[in-house]
Amino acid sequence: MKTAVTVPKNRNRRSLSKTDRFTLSAFVGIPSLLQIILLWVPAVVTVILSFTYWNGINIKDIHWAGIQNYKNIFFNNPIFYQALKNNGIWLAFFLFIATPLGVLLAYQIDRGIKGHAFFESIYYLPVVLSLAVIGIIWNFMFQPGGFVQGIMGRDLAHALSIWGNPSINTWVILGVASWRHIGYIMLLYLSGLKSVDPALKEAAAIDGATEWQIFRKIILPTMQPVNIIILVITLIESLRAFDLVYIIYGSPTVFPLLNLLVFQNFAGQGISMKGAAYAVILLLLCIIPIITYLRVVFKEDLK
Amino acid sequence: MSEEKNVVSRRTVLKGAAIGGAGLAAGGVLSAGTASSARAAGADIHWTTRGGGASGDAIAKSVNDAFTAKTGTKVIAQQVNSDDFQNNFVQIMQGSPDDAFGWMAGWRTNARADAGLLADVSAQIKALGSSLPASAVQAATNPKDKKQYIIPTTYYPWGLHYRKSMVKKIGMNPEKIQHWDDLIKMMTLTKKNGLVAYAMGDKQGWEAMGTFDILNARVNGYQYHIDLLNGRAKWTDAKTKETFKYFAQLIPFMNPNFMDIDWDGCRDLLLQKMCGAMMMGSWFANDFKAKSQADYNDLWVVPFPEINKAHGIDTIDAPLDGISVAKNGKNVEGGKALAQFWGSKEGINAAIAGGDTSIYVSKDFDTSGYDAFGKQKLAVLGSAKNIMFFADRDSRGDFAGPILGPALQNFMKNPKNVNKILENTQAQWEALPKQ
Repeated sequence: MKTAVTVPKNRNRRSLSKTDRFTLSAFVGIPSLLQIILLWVPAVVTVILSFTYWNGINIKDIHWAGIQNYKNIFFNNPIFYQALKNNGIWLAFFLFIATPLGVLLAYQIDRGIKGHAFFESIYYLPVVLSLAVIGIIWNFMFQPGGFVQGIMGRDLAHALSIWGNPSINTWVILGVASWRHIGYIMLLYLSGLKSVDPALKEAAAIDGATEWQIFRKIILPTMQPVNIIILVITLIESLRAFDLVYIIYGSPTVFPLLNLLVFQNFAGQGISMKGAAYAVILLLLCIIPIITYLRVVFKEDLK
Repeated sequence: MSEEKNVVSRRTVLKGAAIGGAGLAAGGVLSAGTASSARAAGADIHWTTRGGGASGDAIAKSVNDAFTAKTGTKVIAQQVNSDDFQNNFVQIMQGSPDDAFGWMAGWRTNARADAGLLADVSAQIKALGSSLPASAVQAATNPKDKKQYIIPTTYYPWGLHYRKSMVKKIGMNPEKIQHWDDLIKMMTLTKKNGLVAYAMGDKQGWEAMGTFDILNARVNGYQYHIDLLNGRAKWTDAKTKETFKYFAQLIPFMNPNFMDIDWDGCRDLLLQKMCGAMMMGSWFANDFKAKSQADYNDLWVVPFPEINKAHGIDTIDAPLDGISVAKNGKNVEGGKALAQFWGSKEGINAAIAGGDTSIYVSKDFDTSGYDAFGKQKLAVLGSAKNIMFFADRDSRGDFAGPILGPALQNFMKNPKNVNKILENTQAQWEALPKQ
């Protein structure tokens, strides 16, 4: 068994010329090295720091805290659960509403419905804006004294509470975030759809498949690689949400998100290693589902 | 004029002995001060202007040019965004910081001095001698090593702001809002007229600390408040809960959208005659002047009304600003000399010539040209004998912003949950690492 594996490997290696080998190792080695230095070293340091007390100034002030930072977050910090809830709602909303909407739009535009070029450009337009800019735009719309409040005839004293109202602000923020996300997903999916062989669809249609059956049985499986990308993007976009909310509120406390808590406790004058602990929690939340999902998908592919 | 005297007399009475001592010391150290500025000549000094836009640059240029004219040392200035500078302060100070810069007294100075980031300016303060009131020097002193790391320059009062005309309209005397009952009456009548009675904007999470600070100081006194913010008293104490009872009484008078607006939203409410009273720092009067002189003349500020007779109106939030010197700067001695100049009579006059409208703590500061509102600000400052610096400077940085801020927001949203919120705040305080 062992030799059976090593023999073809050796043969592969032998077939590469010296230049090839050099190019290959440079192409693989340099990014890997950068990845390790810029990403994995800080990540590991953050994990270690999350078990310490430190104010980020002098190395000598650092001391061991055990799991105190985590205990503090889990048992004393109601804001952590608010943030978890907000991130959770964000993820569910993107996963079940915004992303499917983007896919649907892409499919409709790909089918060439009337005026598809027009729709394509208006849905795509918000994607060219960064979330920070989107935050500024919609803050101007909804804040007291803003455009929408003005249209409703509400002055500063009687302005509707939108960003500060916990029963609606989640949905307004998600609406604004989706405004961009839908266009983004649509664009990604559209580029995938363009590469699906139209002959497959035609053949299915001739065989009497309905529109829905074609989408489910033909398009979705052919689009598997794009689906994975979209799913991972949706997951990461939801968990890393930060800029939009930070621009709107200027502080992490009215609509807390995990990333805002990392920022508040890890940067600026409130620096403590609680921020590192938040970062580790966020890291685990991001990579565990992604790794699990990718493993399942790749295993299926191997079969 | 009488108000100015009032300020001086308060300090003289309180810290008379200390001033005498500083005055005596000044003679001896004066030569040391000149020696250090002479040494600095030659090497350039770098200066950071903390925000303020064009007017901030103009003030800095005026003072720094006067310094160059006096000593022959060139000052290279740059302006930074105030919030960015504050948030990245530790990183900046550990890199290659400018030698001197405007900074804030209290925890933000003391904790960074303890970490070895700021240079000791005790000698410069001694050289400035009796021109600095002892209370200001006391306020700028690091409690840990009794040294000073900031040369105190300016401060501003937090007070109850309103429009005189609006208070007259509801049949009350704007000069006589002195007791809690007066405030309640004023707010009730304002609300009856369909206006916001007590403007609040806490979108950023720090604004409501001003109201909390003053309520706690009025109900429980200065010492209790400072003890509470530094862990020597408990958030779950009956005394703290008493403060929140008064806070809860204010909430029905607030604008319901207080989580949607910032402090400048509150200012606009007052500017547009939509609210009766507003508890805020007196830094925005120029905006009233910009609208019209009549609006400015109508603006008034008084100390927050008395609640507990035992404490009267003896405490005020008056954040103290000053000049600090970076320990890691390239020209520490030069930085110290420049910082001292900013705190001296010549420096203050140069700043005023450059357009500075701040109130200086120095006794060399001439207030005779002050208008009615400016004099009232001095009177408000003079009415208190204890000076708080605002919760986020009186307490640790990892408590005020991340813990106290959201606690106050949650309280205003659900005042009924006060006990749970306070228990939680206490638990979070106890989980902080020891300092």
